[in-house]
Amino acid sequence: MRGAPPWRLMNAAERRRYWWGHWRLGVPAAVTLGLLVVMTAPLMVSVPVFPELGLLSIFVWATFQPRLMAPWAAFLLGLLADLLFAQPLGVNATLFAAAAGFVRMFEARYGHHAHGFDWAVAGGVVMAFELLSWQLQALAGQPIPLAPLGWQVLTSIASYPLVVSLCAWAQRRAFGPEPGQGSGRL
Amino acid sequence: MNWTPAPRRSSAMRREQNLALVGAVVTGAVIATGLLMLLVARVNPAAGARVRGAALDVVTPIWSVVRAPFDGLGRAADFGSEYLGAVSRNRVLEAELVAARAELQRAAAERRALAQLKALQAVRDPARQVVAMVRIVSATPGSVVRSAMVAAGTGDGVVVGLPVISPGGLIGRTIEAGNHAARVLLLTDPASRIPVIVARTGQAGLAVGSNQPYLEFRDRVGAEVPLRAGDRLITSGDGGVFPPGVPVGTILAGAADPPRVRPAATPFGVGYVTIESAFLPLPVDETGPVFDAPVPVEAQRQGGTVGKLRQPEPPQ
Repeated sequence: MRGAPPWRLMNAAERRRYWWGHWRLGVPAAVTLGLLVVMTAPLMVSVPVFPELGLLSIFVWATFQPRLMAPWAAFLLGLLADLLFAQPLGVNATLFAAAAGFVRMFEARYGHHAHGFDWAVAGGVVMAFELLSWQLQALAGQPIPLAPLGWQVLTSIASYPLVVSLCAWAQRRAFGPEPGQGSGRL
Repeated sequence: MNWTPAPRRSSAMRREQNLALVGAVVTGAVIATGLLMLLVARVNPAAGARVRGAALDVVTPIWSVVRAPFDGLGRAADFGSEYLGAVSRNRVLEAELVAARAELQRAAAERRALAQLKALQAVRDPARQVVAMVRIVSATPGSVVRSAMVAAGTGDGVVVGLPVISPGGLIGRTIEAGNHAARVLLLTDPASRIPVIVARTGQAGLAVGSNQPYLEFRDRVGAEVPLRAGDRLITSGDGGVFPPGVPVGTILAGAADPPRVRPAATPFGVGYVTIESAFLPLPVDETGPVFDAPVPVEAQRQGGTVGKLRQPEPPQ
């Protein structure tokens, strides 16, 4: 672990706290996984209206904790999503990884995080995600119609503030209120 | 413990640049892997069936526990509303019962006659066989695949490709099976194709899902005969998976192209469904593939299939 204080400077309690503190590394993935499981919830509607919580969570965590939501982590989460939603293996995996990579690239260019701006970018990402998953499903030999996915785009954009506040809550609980202070970014 | 790390030097910045480059390469490799997996899924759709089953086994119990209190609330609400509407419903039902009794007597006589005719003709009717009777635990409305999970798996005799039927009509068929859970492909999924006939005219066709609340009625035999709104579609039994005569849906508008079908049964809020064994499963050919030339002895020794030699066709 880079940035760890020298071992001998820490007393026993501090060492324990340091080592046990590593559970934070799994927080972004755990929150995303939880949201993916929530997406399999029984909902009494017969069109695909459930928001893409997993994708939004990947998007948000890639800005909150870029190192803990690297594209390879998003890829593994996407594989789990494919298993949970009975899609061909690779649809969500490719697109989640691409979303995390896109956020990383985008951050390097536009480093500001006004809420409305992030919301608009998330909307664009969701739209691109649905279009590409339509194409990738066809590539995997299971074509699906495009029009019903529009519902999902709408609900996903509407549920972005909810996901962002959930992730912000998890971020503040796990990593402390101010990034860069004490137990800030790992 | 007051400690500050050493200030960064230019070598650290170079290191960061290298790390960014490695990160970009890893991202590209990961995305390429995903696309490769898609191609594998295209060639071999059954890949990863075991893993899928395991995932089902993990998720299904969660929802069967979480939804239990909601089911209780729903039952309580149902009970209340039923209690309030009981008297008026009772009157309607009694009127219907009188008509239905007469119909039932006629039907009983006809059934007896049919059984006699079938016995005379030595018709062999395969019987429908219930494998498991389960609750639908969860349906996935969030994804592009319209499926539902049920809490019965290979441990209960549920395998891939069995029809799932509710009292109202057809629900779908199983596509994945874990030890204690299975996934049901619903009628509304774009990959679902149900061989049906129109009960009134006997025309055969396919009820195809489209990720919408309704189905589409495609590939109808005898398209010149017009359909009417309200025509009922029932399974034809073609293909051997679904037993014949199970309600699938009702035509919404006969003039539309393709005609829209409202499913007879919805998987949401349905009580119990039965998973039946495949009605007439396709016979498995034990002899293996047919070859034009005999398989070499060396290949057979290494576990190659023996196969059958193609017989020359008799001269006409």
